[in-house]
Amino acid sequence: DQVLYIVPETFQQVQHLQHLCNTLLLDLWEPLLPEEITTGGKLHIRVPGPLVQEVKDSLDQHMISYKVLIPDVQKLVNQNMPRERTSPEDYVYTRYHPMEEIYQWMIDIEKNNSELVTRHYLGKTTENRTIYYLQISQPSNRIKKIIWMDCGIHAREWISPAFCQWFVKEILQNYKSDPKIARFLQNLDLFVLPVFNIDGYVYSWKEDRLWRKNRSPYNNGTCYGTDLNRNFNSSWGTAGISYNCSSEIFCGPKPESEPETRALAQFFRNKSSDILCYLTIHSYGQYILTPYGSTTKPPSNSEELIDVAKEASAVLKGKYGTSYKVGPTSSILYSNSGSSRDWAHMIGIPFSYTFELRDNGTYGFILPPDQIQPTCEETM
Amino acid sequence: IPEAGHKYYVQFTTEDYQSGEDAGSCLAMVLYPKTKVPPLVTIKCSDVKEPKQIQEEDNRLYQKLRHQTKPISGSNIPDSHGNIEPDMEPVWALAVAGSSYIMWEKSTENLSYFMAQVKSARQWIRKDEFIEFDYTVLLHELPTQEIISCHMRLTWLPAHPVKVKYFCTPQNQGLEEGSGAESGSAAGILHEKGANF
Repeated sequence: DQVLYIVPETFQQVQHLQHLCNTLLLDLWEPLLPEEITTGGKLHIRVPGPLVQEVKDSLDQHMISYKVLIPDVQKLVNQNMPRERTSPEDYVYTRYHPMEEIYQWMIDIEKNNSELVTRHYLGKTTENRTIYYLQISQPSNRIKKIIWMDCGIHAREWISPAFCQWFVKEILQNYKSDPKIARFLQNLDLFVLPVFNIDGYVYSWKEDRLWRKNRSPYNNGTCYGTDLNRNFNSSWGTAGISYNCSSEIFCGPKPESEPETRALAQFFRNKSSDILCYLTIHSYGQYILTPYGSTTKPPSNSEELIDVAKEASAVLKGKYGTSYKVGPTSSILYSNSGSSRDWAHMIGIPFSYTFELRDNGTYGFILPPDQIQPTCEETM
Repeated sequence: IPEAGHKYYVQFTTEDYQSGEDAGSCLAMVLYPKTKVPPLVTIKCSDVKEPKQIQEEDNRLYQKLRHQTKPISGSNIPDSHGNIEPDMEPVWALAVAGSSYIMWEKSTENLSYFMAQVKSARQWIRKDEFIEFDYTVLLHELPTQEIISCHMRLTWLPAHPVKVKYFCTPQNQGLEEGSGAESGSAAGILHEKGANF
């Protein structure tokens, strides 16, 4: 089957096209009805395989020029359909995936890497969806320190969950062959939460691509969403926030008011002595941000934090030349309180960073898919 | 500057968004007077691209837009996945140019903007030589994180600056000056470090 693109130029052409559509029962993709075909209007017609030659001949006879928009409809359908039993080798990391596919991916990743990966329950979202994280751990009799990374606190930052998935894939594909990664896993456990704000993420796919917050109802269901990254108990409600639900930076009625926040906070309170590093991935802006956002008073290990971040930024830049600015949020970005990154540091996790991935504002939240790979590669 | 306002010197480089090539650097002086008015800007830029090449590209685009039999229209540029149809790229680029005017007028020392998406674009074929587009663009406002929807009417002629008329409303359910007040409070708590544009 092919889809043809035609712009009729004369009334006779319009008539002929309508005739073709009606007699051969062709599938009009645009406009919807033959009656709507006009001169100068663009036409997209799907022509069944067996009829393609006949239709093209007829168009040629009537001097109607056409372009083949889709040369093989079935092929395109296959490419875009999530296949039933896709092996994780088929998972396309250079495309953005809806939540159902990410859930399935987590199951597949665990199944196919069971010696290293376990999927764990963290908690539930406001709309009762389950939050899972992946633990990548090399079996050993030592207790290893933990590096935690979460993605997708803000729904519209799609490149963030894409990065978490990429990261997991890279580690699992290369831990045997890459000595750096192998050494990493000997000494550390990696915990990755691919989508933190699941309800928001789903909403950004279905309803509003630029949604940011979670989906908690307030004011009798007339207003939705708390900014999860203002909802943690780190100087909560003091800077860069709003007490108004209709704001994008609504910090919630109280700290940890949101089930998502509580789920993470509870887990961290239990494990905080084992967690060495907290990473939270956002977009956009190209920053590696250190504590704090709520105050300009530097954290106790400020020098070390910044040194490490500067090194990371330099290596990142070496890959594709992308510049990431380094510094405390309150100095180089803006004030904000109640962030997960600040809270992690305040409860004693020494290395706590927020990454703001590409880009610099050109496409912002809606980063083209051809930038997924370079963004992930350089950040890795 | 005591009693008068805040003066900033900004030096920056630019790059071609398509090729990533260096497109020149600029030095600007921005003065925010104490009274609430858009800032005074004086700016000088160096060109790296040949002015002739710019002219040629502009004229090519201009001719294409002038000879449309049917007005160009589109929505969600880029789409949710970040894709822009090649035909729509110039429409997007024109929107960026037009939006920059809106963003300049709305920016303050504490409020900055990026164009997040073109919600809709529609060309109006004119009898005179001008190219005209009607846009709805979504602006991302920092640090409030709000998405502002602006209706923008843009006219263009090569070798002339883009002319823009616009009207903006916040995207959330009828906020009156809710978000205005909110950004006020956020700004109040912000330290006045270098403007983060």
